[in-house]
Order: sequence, then structure tokens, then C-alpha cells
Amino acid sequence: MTMVSTKYAARSVGRNLRRTILSIVGIAIGCVLALFMESLNRGRGELFARAGSASGVGHLRIVPDTWRGRRDSRLRLADWRADFAAAQAVPGVASVTARARAQVLLAVGTHVVPVELAGVQPDVEPRTFRYVQAIARGRYLRAGETGALVAGRAIADRLSADLDDEIVATTVGPRGEIQSALFHLVGIVSTGSDDTDMAVCQVALEDLQRLTGFPGAGEVSIVLNDYREIDRVRARLVQSVARGDDVMTLSELAPDVEGHFKQDTAVTRFVSGIILLIVLLGVASAQLAAVLERRREFAVLAALGMSGSKMVWLIVQEALMLGGGGALVAVAAGLPLVWKLAHTGLDFTRYLGGSYAFQGVLFDPVVYGDFGWWIVAYVSAVALGATLLASLYPAWYAARTDPAVALRVAQ
Amino acid sequence: MRASLPTTWRIAWRNLWRNPRRTTLALAAIGLSVTLVLLYDGILRWEADYIVDTITGPMLGHVQAHAPEWRRTRAMDKTIAGVSRAIDALRRDPDVAGVDARVYAPALAASGEEGFAVMVVGVDMAEATRPSRLLEGLQTPLGGRRVLMGRLLAEQMGVKQGAEVAIVGQGIDGSLANDLFTVAALIDTSVDFVNRQAIVMPLGDARELFAMGDEVHELVIYARDPARAGPLAARLAGAPELAGAEVVDWKTAAPGLNDLVELVSVMWVFVLVLVFVAAAAGVANTALMSTFERTHEFGMLLALGTAPSRIVGMIVVESLALGATGALLGTALGGAVVGWLYYAGFDYAKFTGGGPTSLSAFGVTFTMIIRPRLASIDIVRVVMAVMATAVLASAWPALRAARLQPARALRE
Amino acid sequence: MPIRPVCAAAIVALATVAAPFSPAAPVPQHPSPPDVDAVLARLDDLYRSKSSIARMEIIVTSPRSTRTMRLKAWSRGEDEALIVIEAPPREEGTSTLRVGSNLWNFLPRIARTIRVPPSMMLGSWMGTDFTNDDLVKESSMHKDFTSRIDRRSDTPPGWWISLAVKPGVVGRWARIDILLDDANLPVEERHFDRKGRLARVMTFDETKMLGGRRLPAHMTLTPVDTPGQRTEMRYLELQFDVAIPNDTFSLSRLERGK
Repeated sequence: MTMVSTKYAARSVGRNLRRTILSIVGIAIGCVLALFMESLNRGRGELFARAGSASGVGHLRIVPDTWRGRRDSRLRLADWRADFAAAQAVPGVASVTARARAQVLLAVGTHVVPVELAGVQPDVEPRTFRYVQAIARGRYLRAGETGALVAGRAIADRLSADLDDEIVATTVGPRGEIQSALFHLVGIVSTGSDDTDMAVCQVALEDLQRLTGFPGAGEVSIVLNDYREIDRVRARLVQSVARGDDVMTLSELAPDVEGHFKQDTAVTRFVSGIILLIVLLGVASAQLAAVLERRREFAVLAALGMSGSKMVWLIVQEALMLGGGGALVAVAAGLPLVWKLAHTGLDFTRYLGGSYAFQGVLFDPVVYGDFGWWIVAYVSAVALGATLLASLYPAWYAARTDPAVALRVAQ
Repeated sequence: MRASLPTTWRIAWRNLWRNPRRTTLALAAIGLSVTLVLLYDGILRWEADYIVDTITGPMLGHVQAHAPEWRRTRAMDKTIAGVSRAIDALRRDPDVAGVDARVYAPALAASGEEGFAVMVVGVDMAEATRPSRLLEGLQTPLGGRRVLMGRLLAEQMGVKQGAEVAIVGQGIDGSLANDLFTVAALIDTSVDFVNRQAIVMPLGDARELFAMGDEVHELVIYARDPARAGPLAARLAGAPELAGAEVVDWKTAAPGLNDLVELVSVMWVFVLVLVFVAAAAGVANTALMSTFERTHEFGMLLALGTAPSRIVGMIVVESLALGATGALLGTALGGAVVGWLYYAGFDYAKFTGGGPTSLSAFGVTFTMIIRPRLASIDIVRVVMAVMATAVLASAWPALRAARLQPARALRE
Repeated sequence: MPIRPVCAAAIVALATVAAPFSPAAPVPQHPSPPDVDAVLARLDDLYRSKSSIARMEIIVTSPRSTRTMRLKAWSRGEDEALIVIEAPPREEGTSTLRVGSNLWNFLPRIARTIRVPPSMMLGSWMGTDFTNDDLVKESSMHKDFTSRIDRRSDTPPGWWISLAVKPGVVGRWARIDILLDDANLPVEERHFDRKGRLARVMTFDETKMLGGRRLPAHMTLTPVDTPGQRTEMRYLELQFDVAIPNDTFSLSRLERGK
């Protein structure tokens, strides 16, 4: 009897093509919408990881292990070159950059500004720190040059300094002695915000070492090709860094960013639930409408002797076929759509209002979706799940059909 | 002979209820979709308000006033003078919901021999302890040289509640400011900088410590309508009580935060479009399906001599009635759900089974209690959309049915 | 001329070191241009010695107020200095001790001794216009600058000498113009920043005998960019190469005060 009901179900589906197509299209549209939403949701992780890495934090950072407890800029890595090499050796790493920091007083004449000066590697730094990718005036540091300084516009203004001016930097060395060095301003960065400007102040790593007397680098920042590998890479790297050094992830370094991401995800998952519910409602009501109209048909079947449970099975099979068809269409239509979303992304620049300044935000306001094999599983689950759930009531309804209905002419 | 409109509606309504199961199903589907869309709308409004509130509440406020050079130099002696008069005048302003006054003084703090660089922040305690402000809900009594210390700072310094701490700094006249204080409580505010670096004390105590008169570094003004912070700032800039001061709104003071808020808002609106499309698709599918399934019935009517145009008209009116009723039911339910959640507050953490109850983002902490709210435009929008969708979705099969030969229609 | 500091960062310590100073040179009878090199070498060491005890007055004038402080300072070598504030009464007894790289403040009002962290050592002290350059650096007019005689001045009678910083020397001033009187003592100094802009002016007067030397007892430092702002320093007493008890530069001494 199973084979018969399957054949009947198949033929029923095939016979009323319009109803079938309508159902499949309805299911497919719902699934694609839910899929789009889910892809966006998964893509948010990428957004926040990008924010973290573009801001200079990096996906991972090798730090002295005492730095966790007390974030003192005077701390240095136990063996920064070994750590650097270890980072470069890990597969999946997009860029590695070493830095050292110091609390420094910059002075031009009587104008003074206290800043946190960063000693960086000029050839790699722009890849991990967004704000020095586009210098407003002058140029960025060049590998191999000494005595050059790049600063935010707010710093230059407070110092009353212009390009090529000489600036005295003073700091306190390891033995408490005061040390100074001369730098000339080669580039000015304009981030659009005074506070952010004050955080941009860079010289070459070697220059900072010479100025402070603290040897080596204090941090090695790592940007990965795939942000999802953060924890895996951390586990691996922890084994190979020098003793006395530790590896921290973006979440640990910037719990703020991580927190916002989690909160946003939590609420958007809730919203995804809403969309799925809506899809389910749509599919269910359409299916139910279809079934309700087939009372005569079911009555005839009942009159012919089909049992209730077999009727249920029939409906379920039809649902599965419709769901499967809907899933196929959804995958066919959804894959290219999500692929485009993952590669081109949604660019919100135009919608952000006139006051939006390109460099004022930490990351490009482009949201990339996620693309992967999960799509097939997700769509199938939604389509089949929705149609099966949707077929529960219709199945029960069909099973209860009174054969006498078949004998009536009017409804 | 054309029937009058009321008759058409009566017939349509009766038609609907001739098949109660189908109609109920359609009403349920439409109604629930509407409910869900309204729920999303409510959450969307909450999220936008909430982010702004959480970002501006503790530190930024909606409008800030400073001495002209203070934001650039943070110099101790750049103050707004004669503030008590200014604050009184501001509090009387109808657009102003509250005014906080602040002193920021870098200092050295020590519980033992080791000194730590800190920022002493003097605040108006009555204002700062109000809801969604920096010290929301704080009940620790202060005064008498009792202060609050950021928890992360306290950890760094090895200081516990009740400890005695020396604070040394430079008074506004250059004199040496130094005194002993008791740490009344450790605070976890929603502002990272305060937790890491600040010792918070009543405004009067800070002024006394640093030899300040009737002056402060910053006035933080809360607007009754946060959305109008910009115009309020522009108006207050010209106000006599703030003459000579630099007055900016929070978006100017923290452009990075504003950019983020806008980006998140735009994304949520995009999702709203998705939600709408999903709901519309569902309604359309239902309408299409029902109408197609009734082809037999239309065939009957045609065979009995009903004009095709009347059939189409009847179907359209039925769909309108269905859509409107469903939308109204959905609105009633959605409104009720949103209203209940607004008052009860939806504790998302409990819902997800003990997830994070509060999270940090960009130096600010968000709690996870959702309180959705709706504006009339949200309801109007949904109802209009649903009715339009229902009508359009049933028009096509109706037109098709009307053009059918009765015999063929009967056979379906 | 840089005021010799010994203590790091935010404290005025009247530093010393270097060779003993010979008594004041005789006043020349007729205005002939001085031997600039010799004069500069002497000026570098004008306030220096192996150890010193001084009482001085510091007056800070700002648009808001005028503040006067009186303090007593002991210094030995490059590494040790103790400063105790005598006036105003509110701050009397507040003292600062520098030994090597460590810096402590003692606050009598709250009876606490606090070590100053390195990050706070770089700012200006007590709202004065002295920078840590003035206080700490070992800059030398004689060694770090090339000098030439600019012109004769009639009122007051003396010589303007122009100093240009040598390349490779780290310092804020690219050029210093000094007006020396006919006794080869400084009357005025003009400091130009590395962009060639006049940044501040120092004037010297009240020349008298202090500690066996003839020197200006009163200095006024006026920054050019901040109107209404200046800092004055006046030596009330000054002793050079004096024996200082060994326990002077210790925490216990710090807390005992006076």
C-alpha cells in the first residue's frame, strides 16, 4: 500500500501543477528569505572581527604574560623575534606585525602633548591599522628610515607643528632616567575625531627602542585570513611562543567589541526566529488552504477504503515532495544570491547619512554574508521542517473526512 | 443591475463565513504574521532608542557644554564659571530633562606607598544615580570623604572596599591638593574608562579638594526628546546662561559612536524589509492558494449566470475584508504583546537560558531587557501592506477564474 | 641657560655637578667683545656645584591668580635631591625626595609618603612654566651650540650673543639669543623653537653675591604663546660645595621634615 500511496501522492502533486508550483514557490521564497537572514547573521561575526583587526587590535596578539593583569606599556615580550617567527609559521595568517609602546611627552617649543607613542614596522603596519592606510598630509613611515614620526591631526594642532617640523619626544627609561630624541613629522593622519587622532602616533620600532631603552617589542599582532580560525590558531600558537609570553584573542583584547557582537547576535537570532515563524505560517496556511479545498477528493478516497493513517501518510508524502521541491528551488535561487552577498556584501555607505566620514568609522560599512555548505542543510531543514509541520493539521483533517461528503454536490 | 456597495460587502462577509475553516485559517495566518511584524517593529524601535540611551546616558548626555579650550587641552583651569546659576536656568528649560555637572582632574592615588595615575571625576550625585545614568541605582551614602573607585582600578591598586586612599593632585590655582579618602564602594559602571581609571566623588568634594569655586569642567544636559539633541544644542549655544561656552550635541562629541549607531540602525531597517517581504509572501501564498482552490465554486457561479466582473469584484472585496480583519486582529494581538512586554520587560537572558545579562560594547555596557514599543506609523504601515498584498494576490486568480469557461471551471 | 635639575620629571631640584667654579671675573673697563667660548663655559656652571643647599622663592603668575612658594632644596651629585616646601602655610612641610630613579612625595597633611610612577614624571611641575628639559637635561650651551657675537647693546650695556644648536643635538631650542652685561652675566635669554619661532623669554636681575659667587638671584620665565602667564624664581640663600649629612637623602628624613 505504501507504494500505491506514494504513486498517488506523486500523481496528485503532478496533476495539479498550479497548486504544486504555487506551493513550491511559496516555500522557496520563504526559505530564501530565512536563508538570507541567516547568512547575514553569520556574517556579523566577520563584521566585528574586521572591526577588531582594522583597529590595530588584530585577531590575535602575543603579549607578555603579565600584561593580562596590568596593561603597562613598558612591558616587553620575552623573545619577540621568536614569537614573530612562530606567528609567521602558522598557516592561515594574513599578516604579522610587531609593536612597542611608550608614554611619551612630545614638545615643540613650549607646546607639549602627552601621547602613547607606538613603535611599529612600517612595511606591515598599514595592513593591521586602518588609520594609517590613508595619510591626509605627507606620507607614512618608510621601512629603514629613522627619525620619522606620523601623528594624528589633533596632536599636530596642539603642538602647533606642521609637516617636516622637528619634535622632541621625552620619556622615562628603564632605570628612571629621562631620555629624549628628535623626530620630524612626515605624515599627518586625520580620522575625523579628535580623540581618535590623539591615539595615532607612530615611529619606527627601532626608533622607539632607542628612545626608551626598553629592548624589543611589547606585542605581536596577527591578522588571519579567516576570522573563524582564531581559537584554533591560538591553541597552536600558545605551544610555540617563547616562555613568559602569552597569546590573547580579539575577544579577550577587546571585550567591548565582542560584547556588542554577542548582544547583536542574540537579538538578531530572536528576529530570525520571527522570520522563520512567519515563513512557517505562510507555508502552513497555504498548505492548509489547499487541503481544505480537497475535501471531496479525500472523501472519495475514504469512501474507497483508505484508512485514516494511510491518509495521513499520503498527506505527509505530498508535503515531503513539496518541501523537497521547495528546497531545491530555494537552493538554486539562494546559492547565487548568498554567494553575491558573501563576496560583494551589502554596502550601507549611501544610507548612513551626510555626516558620515569615511575614516571616522573603524570599518567599512559593508556587511558580508556567510557562504558555505551549511546553506544546503539549512534550506533543507527549513523547507522540509516547515512543510511537515504545516501538514500536521491538514493530515489530521483529511483523516477525519466523512466519506458521505463525497456524495454531496454542494460543499 | 449593479448591487450597491453595502450589499457587496454583506455578501462578501457572508461568503467568507460560509467556509469558516478556510476563513479562520486565513485570518489566523494573516493575523499572526501581522503580530510578528509588529513585534519586530517594536523591538526595532527599542533597539534604536536603547542604543542611544545606553551610549548617551552614563557619560555623554545629549548635549555637552565646556569652556572653549577644554575639549582640546583638558587643562584644569579651563572651566565654566558661575555654574550654579547656569544649572538652575537649564533645569527650568522645558526641553531639558536633567543636568549633570562634572569635574575631571588627573591625580595620583595611593593606598600604600605605590602611586597610581588616576582621574578624579566629580559628579552631581543626585543626577548621576538616576536610571540609565553613570551610577544608576547606587545607594551607597557618600560625603564625608567617601569615594567610589572603578573596580578594575581597584584591582590594579590592590584596594578593597573600605580601604583608605590618599589622593594627590594639583589644584586649579596650582596649589597642592591632597587628602585621605575612604573607598565606600567599588563600581562597575557601563563606561570602561571609569572602571579602569576613575575615582568618583560628589561634585562638592571634588571642588573642595582642587580649590575650585563655582565652576566645573563639563555640563552634561539630558534632553526630553533625545532625537532632538542637535537642535537643542544649537539653541542652548545661544542661551545667556551658557554664554562663552562651547555647546555640542553628543553626535559631534563622539562621531565614531554615532557612526556605529547609524550603521546598526540601517541594518535593522534592512531586516525589517526582509520581515515584511516574508509576511507578504505568506499572505500572498495563502490568498493565491485559496482563490485557486475555489475555481470550482466560481465555475458554479458563472454557470448560474453571474457576471465575471461581479465575481472578480466579490473576490477582491472578500480579500479586502479578510485582509483588514486579519490585520486588525493581528494588530490587537501584536499591540497587546508589545504593550505587555513593554511593561514587563522581556528578559532575553532568561529566554535564552542564562545567556549574558549584560554585555560591553565600545566602552558601554548593555543590559538585555527588551522593552519594545510601537508608533502609529508602524501599525498603519503593516495594515496597509497586508491589505494591499491580500487584494493583489487574489486579483490574479480571480481574473483568471472570471475568464474561464464555466464548464472547465466546474471540472476543477 | 638651563636651570640644572637633578631630580627627574616633575620636581624642581636645583641640580649641580661639574667642576668647581672660580670667583667672578673682573668687570672689563671698556666694551670689547667677550671670549664667547669661555663665557659660555662659565655660564653653564654658574649655578652648579658638587653639592648645594638653597632657599628660594617661586612665583607663578597666571590669568587666574598669582601663587608664591618658598622652599628649601638640598642636592648632591646628579642623583640626590631633597626639596621641602616652607610656604605657603597650607603646604608647609610637603617634601620631595629623589634618589637615583626613584621619586617620592611626602604629604604632611595626610602623613603619607607616595612614590611617583614614571608615567607622571614628564609633566610640568606645580603649574610652573619649567619643563622637564629645564629640570633634567644635561644640555650645555657651551657644548651643544655654536656661538657668535651678534651685536653690541647700549641699554643695558652688553653684548647680544646668538647660539645655534649643533646638528644631532636633541633639544627644544634651535636658537638661543643671550644678552650678556659687561660683567658677563646673563641679562636676558630668548629661546627659539625648532621652527625658528620665539617661544619664551628669560630675564635675569638682582645680581648679588650668593654662596661666594656673583650671580643674578632672580629669574623670570615668560612663555610667548600664553598671555598673562609667567614663572619667577628667586634665590634667597645659596651655598655651594657644602657638606651635607649623609642621612639627608632618605625616606626617614623625608618624613621627619625640615
